[in-house]
Amino acid sequence: MERRKFLKIGVGGVAGLVSGSAALLTWTPRSFAATVNVNLNAVAGDITMPDNSSAYMLSFSSNNSPQFHGPTILCQEGDTVNVNINNDLSTDTSFVVTGTSINQSITANNSRSFSFSAPAPGTYIYHDDQNNGVNRVMGLNGALVVMPNSNNQSFNNGPTFVRQYKWALHSVDPAWGDTLRSNGHNAVNNINPNSFDPRYFTLNGVSYPDTHNPDTEIEGDFGDAALIRLINTGGIIHSPHFHGNHVEITSINRNNFSGQRKEKDIVSMMPLDARDVIFPFKSPPDAWPPANGAQHYPMHCHSEMSQTMAGGSYPHGLHAGMVIGHSPATEPTL
Amino acid sequence: MGHGMGGGGMGGGGGCGNAGVTGNCGLNVQAPATPNIVTPDIEFFRATFMGGNATIDGTNVAIWGFNDGGGGMGGMGGMGGSFPSPPIRVRQGQIVHTHLNVMMMAPHTIHHHGIEPDDHNDGVGHYSFDVLGNYTYQWRASHAGTYFYHCHVNTVLHAEMGMYGALIIDPSSGPGSASDGTSYDVEAIWAVDDIDTSWHCLPWDAALCGGDAGFNNFNPDLFCISGMGQSELDADAGAATPAVAINASRGDTVLLRYIMAGYVPQRVTFHRDLGDITIVAEDGRNLPQKVTLSAGSSIFMTAAERYEFIFSPSTSGNAIPIDIEYFNYRSVSGSLRSIGSITGYVNIN
Repeated sequence: MERRKFLKIGVGGVAGLVSGSAALLTWTPRSFAATVNVNLNAVAGDITMPDNSSAYMLSFSSNNSPQFHGPTILCQEGDTVNVNINNDLSTDTSFVVTGTSINQSITANNSRSFSFSAPAPGTYIYHDDQNNGVNRVMGLNGALVVMPNSNNQSFNNGPTFVRQYKWALHSVDPAWGDTLRSNGHNAVNNINPNSFDPRYFTLNGVSYPDTHNPDTEIEGDFGDAALIRLINTGGIIHSPHFHGNHVEITSINRNNFSGQRKEKDIVSMMPLDARDVIFPFKSPPDAWPPANGAQHYPMHCHSEMSQTMAGGSYPHGLHAGMVIGHSPATEPTL
Repeated sequence: MGHGMGGGGMGGGGGCGNAGVTGNCGLNVQAPATPNIVTPDIEFFRATFMGGNATIDGTNVAIWGFNDGGGGMGGMGGMGGSFPSPPIRVRQGQIVHTHLNVMMMAPHTIHHHGIEPDDHNDGVGHYSFDVLGNYTYQWRASHAGTYFYHCHVNTVLHAEMGMYGALIIDPSSGPGSASDGTSYDVEAIWAVDDIDTSWHCLPWDAALCGGDAGFNNFNPDLFCISGMGQSELDADAGAATPAVAINASRGDTVLLRYIMAGYVPQRVTFHRDLGDITIVAEDGRNLPQKVTLSAGSSIFMTAAERYEFIFSPSTSGNAIPIDIEYFNYRSVSGSLRSIGSITGYVNIN
C-alpha cells in the first residue's frame, strides 16, 4: 500500500509527501527499493508574473501546460527512476542532474526514455544545461530529492526535523522569452548569458505576497524543526536572510554535516547550488521579555534587487513569510 | 567606523528632493508604545537624516542615515550625519533600547540585522509597522557577535542610501575579546559597500506603489569601506590616527569585524604578510570549530554576511593590502564577472 501510494506520487510528479495521512508530517521510509516513473513534457508558454504580465518560458511540465519549475522528483536511495521526456520544443533539450553523471539529450520534437539509480540522499537540481545556463534560466529545471532510508532526516545521521520544504530561487528576464516567442525556440541558442537582466525574482515560482501558500511559507510550532532545501535555479547570486532564528547549515551541495553545523542568518546561493538548512523554530532568542504567542517574520534575499518586481514595488520579490509558534493548517508538499 | 560627516539640510543632499508621505502601499505607519517595556541596561538614540552627503573616491554622493539624535539627546534629525551611521555597541546579556525618532515626512524603521527579537521589535513594516514619530525597540543581546542595523522601509533603496551602521555585541566582559573569547590587541570594524550613484537621487518611496525605478538593475560605480573610497583610503593609510586603516605592531592579535554591507558578491583576499587568518564567528554566531585560512587566502561572501577575522602578523610593513573584489550579481553560467575592487590597508610596526 505504501509503495503504491508512493508510485502514484512519482508518476504524477506531484510530490505530496504523505497524502492521506495527516499524522505523518514528513516522510515514511521504505525497507525496499521502488521504481519511480516520471513523465516530463518539455513545453513552452506564458507564465504569469507577479504584476500579472506574461513571460514566455520553457519548462519540464508534468502535463502539457507550462509550469514554473518542473515537478519535484521525490524518491529514496536505491530506487530506480524511469524518466520519459517528450520534447515538444523545436529545439534540443537536455536532462542533467547536478553532482551526478546523469546527462541525457533529447532532440527537438522527439522523446527519450532512460533510467537511473537514485543517487545518495540529498537535494539535486535537474536541468537543461545547454547554452551556459540560458535554457535552465528560461525555466527548464526542477528539484530531485532523494530521501534516506532513515526516518525524518535528509541523510543518515543527519539532524531530525518535523516537516520539510523546498525553496527554488529563480529570476526571470522577460526579454529572453520575447526573443523566443518572436524567433522560435531555437533562438535560445543565440542568447548571450551575460545579457541577463532579470525583472522578476521568485520563490517556488511566485513572489511575495503570493508566497503566502503552504508550500512556501514556513510555519511550525515551537521546537518543530523544519528542513528547508534551497536550490538556486536562476541566474543571479542570492543571499537569503532569515529573520527570527538562525538556521543550521546541514548540507552544501550534498556535503553533509552530521555535527558541528554552522549557524547562519545568511545562506549564500550560487546558481545551481543546493543547500539544506534546519530552521529550528526556537523562541526568538533576543526577545525581551520572551516572546509570547506566534511570531511572524520574513525570509528575504539581501541582494535587495531581488525584493522588487518590474523595477519597483518593494518587497514583491524573493520573500516569504515564516510563522514561529503555530502549526500550518495545510501541510507542505515539495 | 564612521566617516564623512556630511552637511546638507532637509532640502535633500546632492540636489535631490524628497516627497512627503503620499501613498500607503504596503506600509503600516505607526508610532506605538513599546509593549512590556522595562528599564534597559543601555540605550541609544537614533534620528534619521535624508540630506547628507559623503565624498567617496572624490565623488559627492547623497546619503541618508541615522544620527545620534532625538529623545533626550537634543535631536539632530534632519541634518546630516556620518556614513555609515554611528555604531550601536552593547554587551551580551544587556537589555537594549534603541529609540528611533523619525521627524521627517518619510517613515523609517531600524532592523537589527542578525538580532532576533519578537516580531513587534524586528523593524519590518510588513510584519509590524513603519515608524513616523517615535518608537523604542526593546531587545536583549543574547549572543556576542558582529551585526549591523539598517532601515527596512523600501529597503532596496534605503539601505543603498546609507541607512545602516555597525552593531556589536561584546562578550559580557566587554570590549577586548572577540565573540569566542579570544582577546585582541587591535580591533577594526569595516562595513564594505557598493554604490550605484544612479540610484542616489530618488524619493524615499520610489516605486513603492508600483512603477519602474530600475531597482532590479544595480550597477555599482563606487566602492567603499566604512564610507571611504579608494582615494580616501589611500590617504587614510598614512594618517596619524587612521579611520579605516589598521595600525598594529608585530605580534599583536588583530580582530577585523567585517560587515558585508553591499548588494553584489565580494571576494576578500588577505595579503600573505598578514599571516594565517582565523575565522572565529560568522553572522553573530561562533563557529563550532574555528577555520584557519593559510596566508594569502581569499574568502567569498554574499550580501549581509558578517565575519570575525583574527590574525597576528609577524612581518612589519606599511599599507599591507586587504583586497576586495566585487562581482556582478548576474551569473547565469555560474562564472564570476568582476565589476570593481577596493583595497583596505594594514600598517604593521
